[in-house]
Amino acid sequence: MTDLLQVTNITAGYGDGPAILDGAHLTVEPGKVHCIIGPNGAGKSTLLKSICGMLSIRKGDVIFKGERLNGLRPDQILRKGICFVPQERALFPKMTVRENLRMGGFTLDDSKELDRRVGEIMERFPILRERADQFAGTMSGGQQQTLAMARTLIIKPDIIMLDEPSLGLAPKIVQEMFDIMKMISDEGVTVLLVEQNALMGLRNSDYGVVLDLGRTLFEGPAPEVLADPRIQELYLGGKKAA
Amino acid sequence: MAEIIQILILGLALGGVIALMGSGLSLVFGVMHIVNLAHPALIVAGAYVTFLGFRYLGIDPILMMIPSAIVMAVVGVVIYKLIFEKEARSAKYSEMTVLLTFALAMSVEGLLGVLFTNTHRVTSPAYATDAFFIGNVFIPKGQLYAGVISLTLIAGVALFLKYSRLGYAIRATTQNREAAELLGVNVNRISIISFALGLALAGAAGSLVSFVFSFFPAKHWEWIPMLMSVVVLGGMGSILGTVVGALVLSVIAAFVGTWIGATWSTMTFFLALFVILLVRPQGLFGEKPEMS
Repeated sequence: MTDLLQVTNITAGYGDGPAILDGAHLTVEPGKVHCIIGPNGAGKSTLLKSICGMLSIRKGDVIFKGERLNGLRPDQILRKGICFVPQERALFPKMTVRENLRMGGFTLDDSKELDRRVGEIMERFPILRERADQFAGTMSGGQQQTLAMARTLIIKPDIIMLDEPSLGLAPKIVQEMFDIMKMISDEGVTVLLVEQNALMGLRNSDYGVVLDLGRTLFEGPAPEVLADPRIQELYLGGKKAA
Repeated sequence: MAEIIQILILGLALGGVIALMGSGLSLVFGVMHIVNLAHPALIVAGAYVTFLGFRYLGIDPILMMIPSAIVMAVVGVVIYKLIFEKEARSAKYSEMTVLLTFALAMSVEGLLGVLFTNTHRVTSPAYATDAFFIGNVFIPKGQLYAGVISLTLIAGVALFLKYSRLGYAIRATTQNREAAELLGVNVNRISIISFALGLALAGAAGSLVSFVFSFFPAKHWEWIPMLMSVVVLGGMGSILGTVVGALVLSVIAAFVGTWIGATWSTMTFFLALFVILLVRPQGLFGEKPEMS
């Protein structure tokens, strides 16, 4: 199968500061869930930010559907079909749920089509329909995360990148988030996920990518990553993965 | 009773004008986090544009709101491109903009001084010296027109921000710049448009101010603390807050001015600024720094 996204040996960092990523690579297959794991400071979030154009790439390439994305702004990369939900969920707290969803389709020019898609999303996520006129900032963490993930679907992207969607959520809600992610993936949308809870992340993914000190150490099918003794020892706390 | 109604009406009418003067300041802060200390100086510039149109072309100051707003919007684009665009990625952006806008205010004042001298000016359409009388209450037509037009214009801007696609983008950028960018908003373009819109409001306010107050190039120093009080009370970045802040403070100032003394009237704004910053720094409608 043709790779949807290829990241080849990129170097990137914040402003003029030291490189956080130095030799990170990644291959993303269409329609699959890829989970990036690694210790704190490994460069997981930095990798997603580099792909979506929030950070400039100093060396290496990001190739999406055969097109080089280096140097493009986040809004330009979004229009290519890559959505990013950062850790803090990136909602607009003083806009209603409906307005947040409409913002998700900001790049759509057809207002009627946007209304239709917002309606469609609200049908699929009843909690969003119930709270359509409520300010996003007044919702619970889980509801905010649902909104953030659902909002990306408005433009029907090729890839959704999620940076620690489980952060700050109760365990029960975390599983709901992974269920939503699975639903998104089943519809053919590729998911690239950064997850601090490596065990849970890998169990809900097709592929795993292990980053450390800004480099890719290991990349492969999630069951293989889970079974690798080095990975278990280093990142999964020696827990049995099966 | 008539006196109270009289003061209330005058306070509200003046409050409307002050709300318009402050709304551009608030918008620019909300979107770009620029505390534009030059905003009042640019209102004065708008008043001079109106003065020229009134004196030399005989155009009514209210009609001059349109050309004045356009001229100031163009000035806004030029200022943003020359001064702020390069600084937008600086780590000390907010601090830099305070110094830059202070320098800009001085430059605008200097330029206006060279062009128009320091003579006090005022446009004087017929309605500026006329009044409505309802029983014992008199309502100066100039202030009333200026207040009503100001509030109508602000309502128009609020509707634009609420329902238009561009308005969505401006509000989104105000609330979460990074998120807006991730959803496809070109935040640099939105910043330019918002700055131009803020200055267009300054230009429109300048037209109305030109027949409500006399003005001269250094007049803006009187307005900076007044507008800052209004914007801080309402919550930096909130246009609704600016309107509420302006109306509340103007009415209080009108009562203080009548019952205690005119010199104490201005103090109302300064005292309010201190109290707000001590008690509720985010103002009435301001954003808290973090989402819940």
